Amino acid sequence: MLSSVVAKRLVAGMCQAAWRPAVTGLVSCRAYRGDSPEDTRGDLIEIPLPPWEERPGEPADIKKKRLLYESRKRGMLENCILLSLFAKQYLNTMSEKQLLQYDRLINEPSNDWDIYYWATEAQPTPDIYQGEVMEMLKEFTKNHNHEQRLDAPSLEYLEKEIQ
Amino acid sequence: MASVCAASRLLSKRISTQYPVVDHEFDAVVVGAGGAGLRAAFGLSEAGFNTACVTKLFPTRSHTVAAQGGINAALGNMEGDDWRWHFYDTVKGSDWLGDQDAIHYMTEQAPAAVVELENFGMPFSRTEDGKIYQRAFGGQSLKFGKGGQAHRCCCVADRTGHSLLHTLYGRSLRYDTSYFVEYFALDLLMENGECKGVIALCMEDGSIHRFRSQNTVIATGGYGRTYFSCTSAHTSTGDGNAMVTRAGLPCQDLEFVQFHPTGIYGAGCLITEGCRGEGGILINSEGERFMERYAPNAKDLASRDVVSRSMTIEIREGRGVGPEKDHVYLQLHHLPPQQLATRLPGISETAMIFAGVDVTKEPIPVLPTVHYNMGGIPTNYKGQVITHTNGNDKVVPGLYACGEAACASVHGANRLGANSLLDLVVFGRACALTIAEEHKPDKGKIRWHRLRRDRTPSGSSGPVHITCLLHCSLWCLCCLPRRETVPPDAQCRRRVCGQPGQAEEGCDKMDDIYQSLDDIKTFDRGIVWNTDLVESLELQNLMLNAVQTIYSAEQRKESRGAHAREDFKDRVDEYDFSKPTQGQEKKPFEQHWRKHTMSYVDPKTGKVSLEYRPVIDHSLDEQDCAHIPPAIRSY
Repeated sequence: MLSSVVAKRLVAGMCQAAWRPAVTGLVSCRAYRGDSPEDTRGDLIEIPLPPWEERPGEPADIKKKRLLYESRKRGMLENCILLSLFAKQYLNTMSEKQLLQYDRLINEPSNDWDIYYWATEAQPTPDIYQGEVMEMLKEFTKNHNHEQRLDAPSLEYLEKEIQ
Repeated sequence: MASVCAASRLLSKRISTQYPVVDHEFDAVVVGAGGAGLRAAFGLSEAGFNTACVTKLFPTRSHTVAAQGGINAALGNMEGDDWRWHFYDTVKGSDWLGDQDAIHYMTEQAPAAVVELENFGMPFSRTEDGKIYQRAFGGQSLKFGKGGQAHRCCCVADRTGHSLLHTLYGRSLRYDTSYFVEYFALDLLMENGECKGVIALCMEDGSIHRFRSQNTVIATGGYGRTYFSCTSAHTSTGDGNAMVTRAGLPCQDLEFVQFHPTGIYGAGCLITEGCRGEGGILINSEGERFMERYAPNAKDLASRDVVSRSMTIEIREGRGVGPEKDHVYLQLHHLPPQQLATRLPGISETAMIFAGVDVTKEPIPVLPTVHYNMGGIPTNYKGQVITHTNGNDKVVPGLYACGEAACASVHGANRLGANSLLDLVVFGRACALTIAEEHKPDKGKIRWHRLRRDRTPSGSSGPVHITCLLHCSLWCLCCLPRRETVPPDAQCRRRVCGQPGQAEEGCDKMDDIYQSLDDIKTFDRGIVWNTDLVESLELQNLMLNAVQTIYSAEQRKESRGAHAREDFKDRVDEYDFSKPTQGQEKKPFEQHWRKHTMSYVDPKTGKVSLEYRPVIDHSLDEQDCAHIPPAIRSY
């Protein structure tokens, strides 16, 4: 005989599992919060946002300019620095397919933290975002060269590229 | 600046024919789609107003998403609670600079606001009995400080900010709110001291859009990016404060900037207090655990402003680390690696990603980091923007503000944790309610002068007022003699303020930097997705915020809340509250500092003028909730 509390938890767990990819291992939180309460994700399930759409007619150079803006302007500092440095290194040399992957990666997820957790491999990347660009981002995030990533780069590098 | 303006007036005629200007008319316009902006937009749409929301970011990417703490509300689910105790905590936390009528409004509305969010679909974390789970947070107590720690912070796991944005954005779409995403708001449209709307740049095609409306709500957030080290995203550039300043209106209490003791040096990413809770220690260049000297009992776990101040003193006395000796270390490698991996996994990653440091071997470079702006656009408790003339508050018709951009003032000189998200929802809602009360939708059409496309937007025939700044930027865009970019913000962001003797020096340096802004040129000549142009406009906005902050700080000769000075260490109130006030002579208004700073800037010269406004000491209903008389603030 299951107690009502345990039963409730099982049901909630099943509902959650049905709606999101299985999360294995410790969920990493940015902050130390002691006992982090459960997240039912009710808002994400009940209140779907309009789906992200590709922009099929958009020329590649305009797409790159748009993605540059969208890489530099994020919801929290960690992503601002990470994505603007990533964009500096890779954006101008991406193929059309890669640009599309990147566009989806940075514009479709509604929670900016998710992108950070996937890039740092604190949480597994959902299938739909896996691909070349995600691999590039994960490698880039590891910071093999132990660089000091103090800030988003100034845009002067673009000017030099134009010249 | 003057010669540029003259040249730009000649060019402006050409510009207005080159740059398509699209006009819109709405019952209400909200600038900013963070927690406060979305709550206001949602409230207005629900009330039947045809509402536009102009935002430079996709709504769920606003800086509110970074908030992981929660919302304070005296629901009393964990123990008996009363909103009047929350009121007391907030007044005390503000160091008696907060307006008690606004604080009364916020704390009394808090439980209803949380329940309302729950009804909208926000999945607050629950206790076993199904009630909303509430956790402890700093500065919250029971029974007016005498009953121990209160648990009133409601959260959605660790993504409260995101959930708030997602819920409000999703709900508002059902009411047909018009979102103008990736539009950069440039300026307010003012006519005879009344706000008639907002003008914005569409990033997608470079067109200018005029949003005319009887009601404009500013919810553009804070301006952390004026500082070298801040925890804010690169989007916190004080655009709303700058728009208001250029319209000739004041900003309030900009010198009150909250610092978090441990942000990664340079990057600014927050390193949570939990690190020190787990045993991490702060050390200086001599390898000394210096907090033992400043707080012998609490040591590294003393309150945030004590720790921040101690770190600053160590650096200033020459015991800082690094090539410039301008920060200190947070050491964690003496802790067992297992403990680091399980209890602080996020920290290890962040330190490696942004500082290139392996926390099991090396210490993390940290610095007190700007975290929140208590100051902003002055409003009353209803969310209406006010000015202060001849000793009275006067409402600016048609203009409202809420969120971090506004200063109601509920946080006063210092903000308590988890009160910020509450501020967003309560005052976002207040703006919507006030607008609904004051203006019925489409009651009386606004009479507009018809603006012809070929007239310059700043021509005398129109009610539109576009500042010279916009013209200068567009001019730079069209007719660059040379392509040179001023290294963005490197100098502007460096903080030189609030320290003894350096305050005046800071002001002078700031003036020089302000003048050097004239040299700003963008190299990107396109009109589509011009990040360079937007970042240059943001730099100009930051500059206006920075110059007001530093002058206000230099003038305020006391220490109160987050504003700490070594040369004026005490609070200067109208009475000495460490003794009974009976028998004391009340200091006149000019001689004490328990008052709000109202700062104005002349955008052409960068000259700041300061005025002062008294703090509102009475609550909304003295019978229901007596105001808290000032006292010495100790915890």
